[in-house]
Amino acid sequence: MMSTAYTYKPWYEERWKDDWVPEEVAVDCYATFACRHKFCREVCPVYQETGNETHSSYAFHVALLAVARKYAKLHELGDTFTYCLQCGACQLRCPTTLFTGDFYKITNEHNVLVTKTRKELIDLGFKFKGADAMIDNLTKVVNDTDAGRLPVAEWAKDLNLPETGDVILFVDYFMATQMTNILRLVATVLKKAEVKFGIVKDPKPVFTYELDHLGEKGIAYAKHNMEALKKAGAKKVIVPDPHVFVSLTKEYPRLLKEDPPFDVVYVSDFVAELIKDGKLKPEKSVKKKVSYHDSCMLNKVSGIWESPREILKCIPGIEFVDEDHVSQWYYCCGNGASEVRSFKTLHEDLSYRIGLKRLRRALDLGVTTLAVTCPHCNEQFSEVKVKANLNIEILDIFEILADSLGLR
Amino acid sequence: MKYITDYRKVDGYVIERLAKIVGDANVLTLPHERFIRAASAAPFPLHRWEDHAPDVVVLPGSTEEVAEVLKLANELRIPVVPRAAGTGLADGAVPLRKGIVVDIKRMKNILEIDEENMCVTVQTGINNNTLNLELNKRGYWWPFDPASYPCSVIGGNMGTSAWSLIGGVSGHIRDLVRSFVHVLPTGKVIRVGEGGGRKISKSSTGYTLKYLFFGHQGTLGITTEATLEMFPKPEVEFPAFFGYRSFMDAWKNALKMAKSGLRTMATHIIFDEWKVEALRRDDEAYIPLPEHIKSVIATCFYGTEAEVKGASERIFEIAAKDGGIYLGEELSEGDWASRHDRYHIAYHGRHIDGQVGTYSWHCEDAAVNYSAIPYVRERWHALVAEYKQKYDIFDDMGGFYYNNNPFKQWGDYLSEIDVFIDEYHLTEELWQKWVELKRKIAEVVLEVGGSISACHGGTRPGDVELVVEKELDPGVYEIMQMIKRNLDPNNIMNPGKYMLDSAYGG
Repeated sequence: MMSTAYTYKPWYEERWKDDWVPEEVAVDCYATFACRHKFCREVCPVYQETGNETHSSYAFHVALLAVARKYAKLHELGDTFTYCLQCGACQLRCPTTLFTGDFYKITNEHNVLVTKTRKELIDLGFKFKGADAMIDNLTKVVNDTDAGRLPVAEWAKDLNLPETGDVILFVDYFMATQMTNILRLVATVLKKAEVKFGIVKDPKPVFTYELDHLGEKGIAYAKHNMEALKKAGAKKVIVPDPHVFVSLTKEYPRLLKEDPPFDVVYVSDFVAELIKDGKLKPEKSVKKKVSYHDSCMLNKVSGIWESPREILKCIPGIEFVDEDHVSQWYYCCGNGASEVRSFKTLHEDLSYRIGLKRLRRALDLGVTTLAVTCPHCNEQFSEVKVKANLNIEILDIFEILADSLGLR
Repeated sequence: MKYITDYRKVDGYVIERLAKIVGDANVLTLPHERFIRAASAAPFPLHRWEDHAPDVVVLPGSTEEVAEVLKLANELRIPVVPRAAGTGLADGAVPLRKGIVVDIKRMKNILEIDEENMCVTVQTGINNNTLNLELNKRGYWWPFDPASYPCSVIGGNMGTSAWSLIGGVSGHIRDLVRSFVHVLPTGKVIRVGEGGGRKISKSSTGYTLKYLFFGHQGTLGITTEATLEMFPKPEVEFPAFFGYRSFMDAWKNALKMAKSGLRTMATHIIFDEWKVEALRRDDEAYIPLPEHIKSVIATCFYGTEAEVKGASERIFEIAAKDGGIYLGEELSEGDWASRHDRYHIAYHGRHIDGQVGTYSWHCEDAAVNYSAIPYVRERWHALVAEYKQKYDIFDDMGGFYYNNNPFKQWGDYLSEIDVFIDEYHLTEELWQKWVELKRKIAEVVLEVGGSISACHGGTRPGDVELVVEKELDPGVYEIMQMIKRNLDPNNIMNPGKYMLDSAYGG
């Protein structure tokens, strides 16, 4: 399931200059220019709002090709590379990924390229608009983590969970401290199914694609988490946060250059199996008309979209109105891949409009509830709906499932 | 030559005036913002990128803003190049004299859906797919299906006179626009239809000027709003692909399909031996065909269930007459569903030694009559083989021959040879070799009485000289010059295209 071959690009570690990028970057960027279909542009939630094609994967690649050819300098890119949610739609819609992914082991790695470019700009001293805010947001969590100010194990203190086991439920600070209620429901559901599982009590932040901005500190965090999971004896790691899932399955292997020695399973995949095996029986009727929002990190980056739907479909009383996962490549909640709200901080209005559009599409389907399985989508939609005064309920699938199992 | 060189430079004053019209945020001057809007989708002289980068890009939001930009450019004499999706294959959006690029993609609203008169009015920056997502919700269908369907926009489709893969049931862009709002090079705004009437699709009043604004490649202004046909969503889409033992078997069979009289048949497309081989070689999405299959005909039907059921029975009978075997539901549906995505993949070209490289794509789109197809096909592949052998920056990705004529299935075919080109390693010498090859490919078409371009336009190096000097009747080109000079007195709209500097003594 995990493969470093897909995400590793040999150019990643080389340092760039204001007027120079490595030849391998130029060749990669040319592949996008050579294509010129621009499907990446149309699927981009940011471009759909701004109508400015500078805000597209095509443009990012071509801009760097222009740098390689000495027509532009890196510092002249300004804040262009902040107009990206790193939602993964473009790299998935890319004909290169679609048609040469399996064949030649070549995929488009737009998300990695964006982080790399931002990092090079900062390291070269070209602080684009918003760079400080992004780094500040990260630094705050780092400082709180290092000072032990984040109560990352509090959520489980009365649940009696061991620190070792074949199965480990793993989250980082975000869900542990900001979506505690959902996390506790996940644990409760697993217990109900009599799954024996442990947790890691001192996880470090994963920061998804932004981990790289921390340099050595980021690598240390990644190593810490991997060591903790190994030490716990994990054979299977269950993850209830798609951003953490991407870190464990894509970013850690890329940065640490090793595949994890355990299976990483998204919680909805795991729980859908439990239901199939009859270990969980959702029997209480939940009368709601529900659609499901695909988390970008799950649907677009990890290819997981079936299990959340399977769970919703087996809950009695639910009228499930689906919007297929491919249509949802075009959507994003507006938060993007960042754990620390980087896009929202930099482009507050744009982020809001993207979220609002998504909620309106759900309302078009005539549903009362939009189900999510990502704490970041949950947070974003909850804010957008209040700001826009929309009459729609945002629920995690575990809230709905817990109700049906009689656990709330 | 004063009309060619005598343009005002884009300086601070011009930028300021533009910003007053469209707002600061919609005037783009950074190098990368300009360079990403230099090329469209056809092979591009990357070694001379700078020659085609505009001086400034503006993103207007309305007809009024477009009109003001053109008035300013006309007043100050600055070249203007309209840019839609940038997916065109005839360089329409490629600036030849720098100047201002007017990127219309911010103008993407649906203005009205008229369910009684079955038409939809849009700003021309909306893309085909987005429009359909909205219409499909209400049970309607925008039946325009170019290869660039997921990304191209209405304005660009009109400006290039683009063409639909399913034209047999629903026509092409010319047939699907009832009327439109157009900004002339002087900034004057006009509404153009068949006659008068925004939502009228037939009229014999006045001169029929509507078609003048299809395929002008931005030389006659910028279309900002269009009222389009809206179809009821068909009950059934039925693709059926057939395999043949030889190209000639498929070609013979195609004529029987053409004469079948099946009104629900949207298209029939012949894949030649080179195309089947290329797909077999390295397109993983293509379900492998038995080795004895050397050629394919793809058909697709749209209509009510009863109509399509009847037609499907008939097409199976027709295919069998020349040994065509049905390639199955999985291949037919899968291949049809991926028709917009697969025509060019950057990593599918091969060097002579068999190694994969990154290649850009040339797509020939000549209109060739049925009877001339076998000859054209052989000549084309021989030409590409010769250049590939000599220069090793080309690859032959095979040929398609589409009959999607508007509302009929016979006559001329859009004949396509796909040539892959490694632009990354281009030099001026190799670029000139490409232009030479391009010209030879086009000459074959003129030799058999065809047209160099069915739907992209004849504005590229290698094509344009032949279009102007050989394909078009001299009297017709003279009328083009007269129209250009009268509508665009200062030669600001996409100057240089169709060699129309000649209209000004250039």
